[in-house]
Amino acid sequence: MTSTRRQFLATTAVGVAGAAVGRSRRAEAAPKSMTVARESSFIKPFDDYFVKTLAAEYEKLTGTKIVYEAVSVGGMLTRLTTIAETKSGPEMVGTGVNWPWLFDQSLVDVSDIAAEIGKKIGPWHDNVLDAVVVNKKWKALPWGNIGQMEVYRTDWFKEVGVTKFPDNWEDLLAAGRLLKKKGHPFGFELGHGFGDNHGWLYPLLWSYGGREVDKDGKTVLIDSGETAKAVDFCRKFYQETMFEDVLAWTDVNNNKAYLGEQISCTNNASSILVVAKRDFPEIAKVTDHAQNPQGPKGRFHIMQAASHAIMTHAPDIPAAKAFLRWLYDDKQLHRWLTAGEAYYAPFLHAYDNHPMWNPEPRYMPYKDSLKTTRLHGWPGPPSHAMSESVAKYVLVDMFAKACRGDSTKDVIATAASQLKQIYKAK
Amino acid sequence: MAVRPATLPRPTPVAGRPFTLSGFLEREGIFSWLMLGPGVLFLLAFVAYPFFYGIFLSLEERRVASEGVFVGLANFRTLAHDAVFWQVTRNTFFYVVVTTVLKLCGGLAMALVVNQSFRGKNLARAALLLPFIVPTALSTVAWMWILDPTFSVVNWLLVRAGAITTGYSWLGNASLAMWSLVAVNTWRGLPFYGITLLAGLQTISPDLYEAAAIDGASTVQRFLYVTLPVIKPVLIIVTMFSVIFTFGDFQLIYALTHGGPANATHVFSTLAFDIGMSAGQLGMGAAVALAILPALAVLIVGLTFYLRRE
Repeated sequence: MTSTRRQFLATTAVGVAGAAVGRSRRAEAAPKSMTVARESSFIKPFDDYFVKTLAAEYEKLTGTKIVYEAVSVGGMLTRLTTIAETKSGPEMVGTGVNWPWLFDQSLVDVSDIAAEIGKKIGPWHDNVLDAVVVNKKWKALPWGNIGQMEVYRTDWFKEVGVTKFPDNWEDLLAAGRLLKKKGHPFGFELGHGFGDNHGWLYPLLWSYGGREVDKDGKTVLIDSGETAKAVDFCRKFYQETMFEDVLAWTDVNNNKAYLGEQISCTNNASSILVVAKRDFPEIAKVTDHAQNPQGPKGRFHIMQAASHAIMTHAPDIPAAKAFLRWLYDDKQLHRWLTAGEAYYAPFLHAYDNHPMWNPEPRYMPYKDSLKTTRLHGWPGPPSHAMSESVAKYVLVDMFAKACRGDSTKDVIATAASQLKQIYKAK
Repeated sequence: MAVRPATLPRPTPVAGRPFTLSGFLEREGIFSWLMLGPGVLFLLAFVAYPFFYGIFLSLEERRVASEGVFVGLANFRTLAHDAVFWQVTRNTFFYVVVTTVLKLCGGLAMALVVNQSFRGKNLARAALLLPFIVPTALSTVAWMWILDPTFSVVNWLLVRAGAITTGYSWLGNASLAMWSLVAVNTWRGLPFYGITLLAGLQTISPDLYEAAAIDGASTVQRFLYVTLPVIKPVLIIVTMFSVIFTFGDFQLIYALTHGGPANATHVFSTLAFDIGMSAGQLGMGAAVALAILPALAVLIVGLTFYLRRE
């Protein structure tokens, strides 16, 4: 028994020492493989292009295999939380919304790469800095905005005499009234989804001049006349153009309803048209996109800046940086973006008039909307409090409660009370 | 005279007998711990550790990927002033109480029916287990279609039967959404009650029923004075387990409504997930998750004492 224990201890010690030596040797050479975890795209050719073409090219070039971990849509934040908390797993990750702020301490400073990219194919759009620059350090490299636009049926709009998509909310309401009477209601998500609800409700609030919180991130501004106007409009918009089910919709429902020819207009990413082209060509022919209508105080869109970041636990950070440098080189960048069928609108001015936009002109609003995109809690800072407000659906529920019949005063008071607690307002 | 359970004679060490591994392992004290060890380790790793870590987290202001700061009961105080938390508390208790009563009554009825002798009895028993066997995520997708306003088979049937003219919004209407979730949870949980209570029913000796019948007891009386008292311990255990599972129900609600519309179906588990995972407030998320602990503790301790007294 004693000898066995001794043998076990000796074997363990040799093994540990061997692993340590091996690790230090590996650190000197190029890593055998690295993993990128990112949310799987609605656009299958986009994911396929990375796995089959880009990863293969990089392995041929450097000998490093790039593993692509596609996380289900809506699940990336949970995956990122697990990776950051356990400090293990993929070396590179996809981020969105304000996640670089949430995971600041777990992400590597990539300001050097961002500066190089900006110099070569930039400059970067100014507004995206809010999402990825934390305390003057770039914590992620923006890839592209997953825009939320108006998706609508051109044939049904024409049937009621609307040949051009309405430019302001009131005109859209007027068109919606006519369409609902014809049996083609609108369907805008007002439930607890992760994107299509915020995608139109924050822009609606902003376009009426309403704000959640001030720039200081402390002064709650939701209780205002502007917010009241936005809430009143939303109630009217819901009651006169939609139906009750939208109050519980999550992100799959409006896609399903649109492709099931249940609704004539919604707010969504380009995935509806992409799926329609593949599976419902007749619907694709009569589908188009438009920017969000403008309100009395302007036109706005939500920012969902899909980006790439390096985790601090990555065993070989220079190798991960080298890969991202290669990936963001225009030679690779434009090919992957094109494979994504313009689902991602890059925040680089070199792509303002890029051929990637030519194959499908109906995606142009996604590019044109970039300059009016804002993060959810804008103009407040992209803080943890902002995430809490989004996760608690404060704004979504404020509008949803008004739509189901609660008074404007009550819903705003409830939202203000929640926001004061979240932003720790004095 | 109390009868003590028989015990195996403990092998006594014999002076001069050489030490052997098998002899060592056969010692009752060692052997029993070896058998218990894996189970205890499993419980420590996957139940005790997460549980105590959860308590520890709930006492911290702990943001994702950051160091935590001990704040005592501050998270619980914040929740006490949060209107959404109280709405979630009301929702959770409504959901648990109503589904438990429905499952209890329905499951008992189901067990009494399948306890009878009829042709195809075994097939019926197997079929009744289906809702429990199918993974929740999968069956929930089917329910999404069943409750869909356009494609709903329920609406289709009601309209065709002339009961209604236009379909209901089963998930969009705040009241209907909660009742829809109650219905789905009841559908999924009935077999657990049914099959477990059936096992209890089958332990009842037919002699008891015969004696009761000879004494002139009616069917209702036989149920109240023979069936119920015998299956009461099983009934209590099943209810206790069911309440614990229902308090922690997540998949069904997350997939169908994600707590909407306007928090009408938000429960502790979905709120804890949103705060912990989506907002990155792990401490506060843990506090929400632990908010069900007092109610569960009272229930479990109360029922356990009751069972011991019985």
